[in-house]
Amino acid sequence: MSDATAKATARAVLPAPVGRSVGSAAWRRLKKNRLAMLGGVVLVLITLACFVTPLLLGLDPTSTNPAERHLPPSAAHWLGTDALGRDYAARVLIGGQTSLLVGISATFASVLVGVMFGAISGYFGGRTDEVMMRFVDFFYGIPYMFLVILIMLMFSETARGDPLPVFLALGLVQWLTMARVIRGQVLALRHREFVLAARVLGASHLRIVTYHILPNVLGVVLVYATLTVPTVIILESFLSFLGLGVKLSWGQLVAEGVGVVNPVESYWWLLFWPSVLLALTLFSLNFLGDGLRDALDPKTRH
Amino acid sequence: MALRSLGLIAVAALLVLVLARSIGLVEAIALVGGAGATAGTAWLPIRVVRVLAPILLGALLFGLTRATLTVPGAACLGALAVAVGIAKASPPVLRRIMFIIPSLGLLIFVTTLLMYHAPGNPFAGERIATPQVEAALRVQYGVPESALDFFQIYIRRLLLEGSFGPSLKVQGRMVGELLEPAFPVSIALGLLALVIACVLGLALGIRAGLRPNSVSDYASMALAMVGLSLPNFVIGAALIIVFALYLGWLPVAGWGGYQHILMPAFTLGLPYAAYIARLARSGTIETMQQDFIRTARAKGLSETAVVLRHALKGAILPVVSFLGPAAAGIMTGSFVVETLFSVPGMGQWFVKGAINRDYSVVLGTAIIYSALVTTFNLVVDLAYVWLEPRARSEL
Amino acid sequence: MYRTLLGIVGCLVGALFLVGMTFSASVEEEADFRFINSTEPKNLDPHLATGEPEGRILFNIFEGLMRLDAKTLRPIGGVAKSYELSEDETRYTFHLRDNARWTDGHPVTAHDFVYSWKRILDPEIAGQYAYILHGIVDARAFNTFGAHVKALRGEIREALTKLIAKSPGGASAREWQALLADTGAHSALEQAKDTVLTKRLSQRQGRLSRAELEDSLQRVLEQAKQLERAYREARQHLGKDRGIYAPDDHTFIVELEAPLPYFLEITTFYPTMPVPRWVVEAPGNANDWFLPEKIVSNGPFVFKSWKVNDRIRLQKSLSYWARDETRSNTIDVFPIENVTTALNMYLTGQVDWLLKAYPEDLGQRLQERKDFYAVPAMIVYFYRLNCSRPPFNDKRVREAINLAIDRTVITRDVLGRGELPAYLIVPPGMPGYEPPRSSVRFDVERARQLLAEAGHPDGKGLPEIGILYNTHEAHKKIAEVVADQLSRHLNIKASAYNQEWQSYLSTVRDGNYDMARAAWIGDYRDPNTFLDMWITNGGNNETGFASPDYDLLVRAAGNVPGYLERREAILEAVADRAAISQLLEASSGADSPERRQARSKLRLALLGEAERILVNDEFPIVPIYFYVNSGLLSPKVKGLYPMLELPDGTKAPNLQAHHPLYAVERQR
Repeated sequence: MSDATAKATARAVLPAPVGRSVGSAAWRRLKKNRLAMLGGVVLVLITLACFVTPLLLGLDPTSTNPAERHLPPSAAHWLGTDALGRDYAARVLIGGQTSLLVGISATFASVLVGVMFGAISGYFGGRTDEVMMRFVDFFYGIPYMFLVILIMLMFSETARGDPLPVFLALGLVQWLTMARVIRGQVLALRHREFVLAARVLGASHLRIVTYHILPNVLGVVLVYATLTVPTVIILESFLSFLGLGVKLSWGQLVAEGVGVVNPVESYWWLLFWPSVLLALTLFSLNFLGDGLRDALDPKTRH
Repeated sequence: MALRSLGLIAVAALLVLVLARSIGLVEAIALVGGAGATAGTAWLPIRVVRVLAPILLGALLFGLTRATLTVPGAACLGALAVAVGIAKASPPVLRRIMFIIPSLGLLIFVTTLLMYHAPGNPFAGERIATPQVEAALRVQYGVPESALDFFQIYIRRLLLEGSFGPSLKVQGRMVGELLEPAFPVSIALGLLALVIACVLGLALGIRAGLRPNSVSDYASMALAMVGLSLPNFVIGAALIIVFALYLGWLPVAGWGGYQHILMPAFTLGLPYAAYIARLARSGTIETMQQDFIRTARAKGLSETAVVLRHALKGAILPVVSFLGPAAAGIMTGSFVVETLFSVPGMGQWFVKGAINRDYSVVLGTAIIYSALVTTFNLVVDLAYVWLEPRARSEL
Repeated sequence: MYRTLLGIVGCLVGALFLVGMTFSASVEEEADFRFINSTEPKNLDPHLATGEPEGRILFNIFEGLMRLDAKTLRPIGGVAKSYELSEDETRYTFHLRDNARWTDGHPVTAHDFVYSWKRILDPEIAGQYAYILHGIVDARAFNTFGAHVKALRGEIREALTKLIAKSPGGASAREWQALLADTGAHSALEQAKDTVLTKRLSQRQGRLSRAELEDSLQRVLEQAKQLERAYREARQHLGKDRGIYAPDDHTFIVELEAPLPYFLEITTFYPTMPVPRWVVEAPGNANDWFLPEKIVSNGPFVFKSWKVNDRIRLQKSLSYWARDETRSNTIDVFPIENVTTALNMYLTGQVDWLLKAYPEDLGQRLQERKDFYAVPAMIVYFYRLNCSRPPFNDKRVREAINLAIDRTVITRDVLGRGELPAYLIVPPGMPGYEPPRSSVRFDVERARQLLAEAGHPDGKGLPEIGILYNTHEAHKKIAEVVADQLSRHLNIKASAYNQEWQSYLSTVRDGNYDMARAAWIGDYRDPNTFLDMWITNGGNNETGFASPDYDLLVRAAGNVPGYLERREAILEAVADRAAISQLLEASSGADSPERRQARSKLRLALLGEAERILVNDEFPIVPIYFYVNSGLLSPKVKGLYPMLELPDGTKAPNLQAHHPLYAVERQR
């Protein structure tokens, strides 16, 4: 999209830039937003469940026992068993580990690249900005799923279901939005008085960027990061559906669950549990993200 | 100035070195160089752009339509485009057009590189093919061993013959032949999904925005959340369970009648309806708080008129600017939805092509999708300016 | 202003209009019979196609000399209305009917068959099923000797000369074997009658002196000369007056090198079906003559339309000589790959026949349905073991793997459709064939013992074993179960991983795997189709398994009269010397009915001995189960026979899952 639309979108969904000592005020506002806090709590609970419970209970997601396949939830298997008799609770929780990790690492990668790119582009402006934004425009024009799928195929022989290429591929395509947004912010910021003052005082570009600009975009970065994780997790589920995803993740389980929807035998728990956990996690992330955004700019609240 | 150029060159060299390790030196240089050239169109002086862009546009139209309109007809169309372009189009639009064509070329190159470096060989069959047979096949299909050679052959064939080449996997068919019936299918599906997303999203979002914090507001937004928190194929599966397996009203999969397009379009469009609802809602809220709304109310206009005449634009604007990414997202979603519902569209072609190493099909679909999304983006931007003339300067 | 509103409404209306316009509302009338083919066919040229999905369509649009009766699956008259078989069972004379026509009106003549069979045997065409006609006089020479001669005189001669030049003191057997493997010399020399040369070819120990190498080079060139002569003769005579020829328009003669009990079945198989020369050779038709717009065929159905990714439509042919037997007017074939979608389409009445492809786990529930059928099939599911590198280059380890898998768990719990666990490679049901005793069974004790003997007590020192399978739900489940079993029973590390079809094929071909899933479908009802692939460097071997004894037995079985003089070598390779010796006796001598019977018994016995090597000595593969052909068939459909109805009133399983569609009809 062009500058116009990028800016319009930014204006519609982002908070206005703020000075440095915004942290505590924002935090107070956030705490008052009960939905967002609830989201945060749920997120923490789910993360704990996924990472701690399997260790505590010694759950094993891989031992097959075909004689016990497709059992509905019971005392022995709280969430039921899958097509090979594997304990579903184990699979859902450990799958959650992968999904969360993939989501966070891909987002982290994209934040890193996106912020650097956007900051440099927005700060220097002029030709540099034009060139860099052309890059971004170009990548926007590429249907990125193409690249992701092709990249996944490139790794299919060596990867064997590894999460690394997946999150690299997904991270690779998310940095664009981040770069765009950051650039917009930085562009607006660099004309503010405190920046001009710093320049007059002789601060180097690097110092300005690090000390004055970046802290102000931190809020935006946080908001966008929180909203990117769900996108990445959903994209990973797309890949799993097409047969290209990670070995064990929520996306994989959900794709498997969808694959067995038929009128003869309903294995509802196969689709239900990972969907519920997935939805809860993404809900929470979305609410949290919304809350953060509202907290950082009270004007968009009602 | 000099420092920046040096910096750029250093970055470029670094990129080449990094890439060369996995894709070979020549190809790395070509890639970085191509990317640089594409980006470099930003530097061209406006006079050059004024002339060059319409010519490129004309050539593009010529190439696209020569098959359907025959050479003289296509040449006329091309010339017409050139004339119109030189006379009427504004510089920013022209710069955008300047950019599209080299970027398509770069897209083809990147895709080619990725395909060539994926394991697997399009000519592997279940029973052994001898090296001679494989060599003969490579010549026949124009798929040499090196990515650069393939790129040259492909571009030449694309520009001179206007053809996407033969499919490597579907015996005896040209890619154009295969994609031709799939194109309207995907367009119909995507457009309908977009329409559904807009209608549902706007309706829900505006209504929620007009009554913020009410029960219906929370309900609508909760509903929207669901659309955003589940992958579209889960929603699709739910629709299948209810409408096809339980009620039997709609067919499970396939294509052929009006009943076949409903579930896929809904599945594809619902997540975007959710996004649009949120955008419309926040846009509405923001607009309704503006002064001119109070003025309109004070003037005695009915609430409906206020909304329709004044607030609507504020609600729509963010949605319009979202349409570009929405279209791209719908295209992505179509891979999954077409696979789920066995819809014979381009999305399935791309997925199958990538999995089967059918280079020509992959490139063909990539080009068409790219062109579609880019054009759509351009149209959306123009529409935005039409709606909000004050944004013209930012085009 | 109202601008915005106008804009929105305008856009929506415009978009909907576009939707309607672009929406190919090509609502077709429902077809008479609809079924699901697992995937889009690739190539519908009968001489170039190789898969089942292609076969299902080809069997209905083309017709060969004979055709299969739908009820009994016995060969009955197709284009040929009758045939005569000579006394010594090597000469068939087919009489073609007068009213067999192509869809463009031309009559089907014997010359069409000569042209077509020569076409599939043409080395330029590289038809992958050409080998099925190698039993015909001159056919093998015509098809393969040209390439062999080139290889012998080119690559092989060069390599040998180089080896001789750089080894004044002779070369080790290992270098010799490496040279043979790299140049593909084994296949180029497979027909060699030169016993000195063939013995040397299987030498794996010791050294070869320079003199022996030079002598081998001479013998190789001599072989090349002989092959060239045979090739020239074949080119001269095949199709004119030897092998296959047509004395007139309606008589077609086939001369075999030795009696083949399954030859008539071969004439029903699609690689042997005729193709119209004037269409195939028309300019510009090389790659697409079989597309609906251009094709000319001679079968009960016409290839009406092919909408890729949507459906293929067949229509009753009005020029077919037996058109009164064709019951349906239109048939739709859907290429649905997703098994659950396929099942749902069947259950909601969108299709009438679902073969094979449905979700495995539902097997048990679906088995309770009346419209479900499950019939044993001639297909074996197995894992290849990479015999050319550790750990599977040690046959004790291979045997251990074979003994450490509990196949009943897989067939009963993972599959559950009545599949049989496989302890052999050749599925049951081969007429006249006695399977050998097999050492493959479930015996963890012995497996552990073997591992210890091989230097890996309690699994120590064994690298992690990767079990490769091509992406598919069912293969994934089985591989994961096998990995788990091996890990548990042998205390080793094994894990399953997948690649999609193309990558998987490359990986297996390049030998980059430890254990790789595979399946083999028999092309005709004879054990040979499961055994001839395992010869050294066989195209479909891909395991590195090489046993000269095995090669000898399989080749001998392929041409009994030609190998009778190699008594000693054969007897050395078999286990039951007494029985084989007796059969060899009974087979030698002048031709007579008793001789021929003995020979055919000997053939099957030799194949049994070959299989014995695979499942008792060498274990290059791990058979897992024999397939069952199962599916769902709507009770409204008549004329499809998963269980064949034989003339004597009994029923027999339709092992090959051939279902000619001419007799199919659906009651609406």
